[in-house]
Amino acid sequence: MAGHDPGDGGDVTAPAHSPAAGTGAGAGTEEIVEVGHRPIREVNADIRKAVARGSRVRVQDTLSRHNLGVALPEGADLVFEGSVGYYCGGLNNGATIRVERNAGWGLGEAMASGVITVDGYAGMAAGASMLGGLLHVRGDAGPRTGVAQKGGDIVVEGSVGFLSGFMAHAGRIIVLADAADAAGDSLWGGEMWVAGNIGSPGVDSRIVEPDAEEVASVEDLLSSLGVGDVSRRWKKIVSGQKLWHFESRDAQAWLMI
Amino acid sequence: MADDLTLDHDDPAAFVAGSVPGRPAGAAASYESGDSPRWTPHAIADVQAKAQLGRYQVRGFSTFQRNLPTLDDLVFVPATMTRLPLEGYREDCDTRTVLGDRPGLVENPIELDTPVYIASMSFGALSATAKAALGHGASRVGSMTCTGEGGMLEDEREASDVLVYQMTPSRYMLDLDHLRRADAIEIAVGQGAKPGTGGLLLGMKVSQRVADMRTLPVEVDQRSTVRHPDFLGADDLRVKIEELREAVDYRVPIFAKMGATRPRYDVAIAAKAGVDVIVLDGMEGGTNAAPELLLDHTGIPTIAAIRAAREALEDCGMADEVKLVVAGGIRGGVDAAKALALGADAVMIGTAALIAMGCNSPCFVEDYEAMGTAPGRCHHCHTGLCPVGIQTQDPELEARLDVDAAAERVARFLTATTMEISLLAKACGKSSVHNLEPEDLRALTLEAAAFTGVDLAGIDRPFDW
Repeated sequence: MAGHDPGDGGDVTAPAHSPAAGTGAGAGTEEIVEVGHRPIREVNADIRKAVARGSRVRVQDTLSRHNLGVALPEGADLVFEGSVGYYCGGLNNGATIRVERNAGWGLGEAMASGVITVDGYAGMAAGASMLGGLLHVRGDAGPRTGVAQKGGDIVVEGSVGFLSGFMAHAGRIIVLADAADAAGDSLWGGEMWVAGNIGSPGVDSRIVEPDAEEVASVEDLLSSLGVGDVSRRWKKIVSGQKLWHFESRDAQAWLMI
Repeated sequence: MADDLTLDHDDPAAFVAGSVPGRPAGAAASYESGDSPRWTPHAIADVQAKAQLGRYQVRGFSTFQRNLPTLDDLVFVPATMTRLPLEGYREDCDTRTVLGDRPGLVENPIELDTPVYIASMSFGALSATAKAALGHGASRVGSMTCTGEGGMLEDEREASDVLVYQMTPSRYMLDLDHLRRADAIEIAVGQGAKPGTGGLLLGMKVSQRVADMRTLPVEVDQRSTVRHPDFLGADDLRVKIEELREAVDYRVPIFAKMGATRPRYDVAIAAKAGVDVIVLDGMEGGTNAAPELLLDHTGIPTIAAIRAAREALEDCGMADEVKLVVAGGIRGGVDAAKALALGADAVMIGTAALIAMGCNSPCFVEDYEAMGTAPGRCHHCHTGLCPVGIQTQDPELEARLDVDAAAERVARFLTATTMEISLLAKACGKSSVHNLEPEDLRALTLEAAAFTGVDLAGIDRPFDW
């Protein structure tokens, strides 16, 4: 699988000078929250307070800590200047989150709405069971990307790992490079779009030619994200629907038992 | 065909005197009735069914395994000379039950008036009417309910004073709003009826409303994932629990529900991972649908799981921090009291609550007959054709269940169950049902003694390994 260099996004941006959290900042201003080795509960509480004041939040010294920026509301606007651990942006409820380096497992899991952008790479299960919103990974994403997805869009500019899209119900996973083995395994619904190579399609998946309107929709989304040269030869993976009625295809059979 | 034992009157060894014509001595009745202990009519029918279907059989209800040790193999030994009983009809016995009261981690522990509550059963498996009735019934007597897999149904949330929100691997409709409206969150790791597999809801029950809540096509066979999508082992689970606590601001307790398989190890791992309450579901636990072989041949019985789970909590020094809820085939107060004595802090009932509502009741008998069954032995939950409107999504069948009447029956059954527990506790001299202990029990069989460590009746010694 071809790796994808996310480019400049991997660099840590020098933080802008801004008032510290809790110093009377408010709407339109930017506040800095330091992570370091502080308890996550305290860090997230500071983030939520800054968000409640209407501030844009820059989170520094992230140390790949887990559970940063969990369950944030609409209107929250965060930038994580370093890498983050598991479940960053999990249960997102409308926030706009940017991770300037890499993200661990479960990025944006169960997100209902909002936008999460990762300038680097994402680990396993990015966008797991997400219901809506947009998750955008500029590098590669790990195995099980979009597992159990229920809605929204996942855009991965690099490649995705094994079993991505596993048992997804709805939504789109759009991969600009390659998809590893078992792509779109056991899909109930939803779509997986791959521009590069597919290691192997998953169980009960089907590769189909997308129609022009669908392609335009995907390419419009990519253009809006600043992805250059969006025109690709797309392969769309959908459910084979053979497992939809594995156990009850003969209703009369149930009366035998 | 048996050997020819036709009487030979000239044979000196023949049983001639008094013999029955046509039935010579030595002709076993089993040859005529075919009651081979191995090839029973059920075993033969099972082969015939699979030979036609080309797959395993699926059904609902609970295990039909006949060789299980049960809580019936234990009896209480009430206070006699060594201790004083409480006046069964006059003195109080505290039934209040608190779950998830780990100091410093949970702002609002669960407080119930009874140690018995309603098990996680999904909307989808059950009708919306049944879910609402369970919620109303539990609320009337200070108990609680649990959503099950299918997401949070508004009917149930409104009906339930206290509601546990279950987070299953499939995460149907799981979102922040529902998490924050829950009184506790239960991470489902497995269930007693079919540990090691995910949920199963056949297409006959995937109505438009169910499909909408689960983001599924209508009428598909929904087979849920068994592994959670974003954590694998205990180390990950620990991080996941922290995420959930962050999401609800440490307001409510976190439960983990698991099928009973290796309770000594599974319970210790879950406790160490940081859950507040462990729900352990024995193999007698019910389900709306499961491959029959899993129902009958996977998991361990409830009686065998409880002591191991309690000892696991004690061994890792977490008995005061983590509460243990036991489920799986609990039929009423007697089973519940025995589970409490063996080490449970609370007990969940599923099938018993459905029966209290009307499951298997002798109404609409012709509809049972149309499925080839009868009231009292129906296990056709998987078909969605439940004659009494509980295990169905058919609007006409669902309308047969009167919410208020069903709720009242649930409330009365919970009251009776609580009363039974308290009666047994008082007879054993306990002023709280939570003071019941293994010493209040005796085992009637070597098997029960071996599974539980409870002394054998009369001889008052444990089974000696």
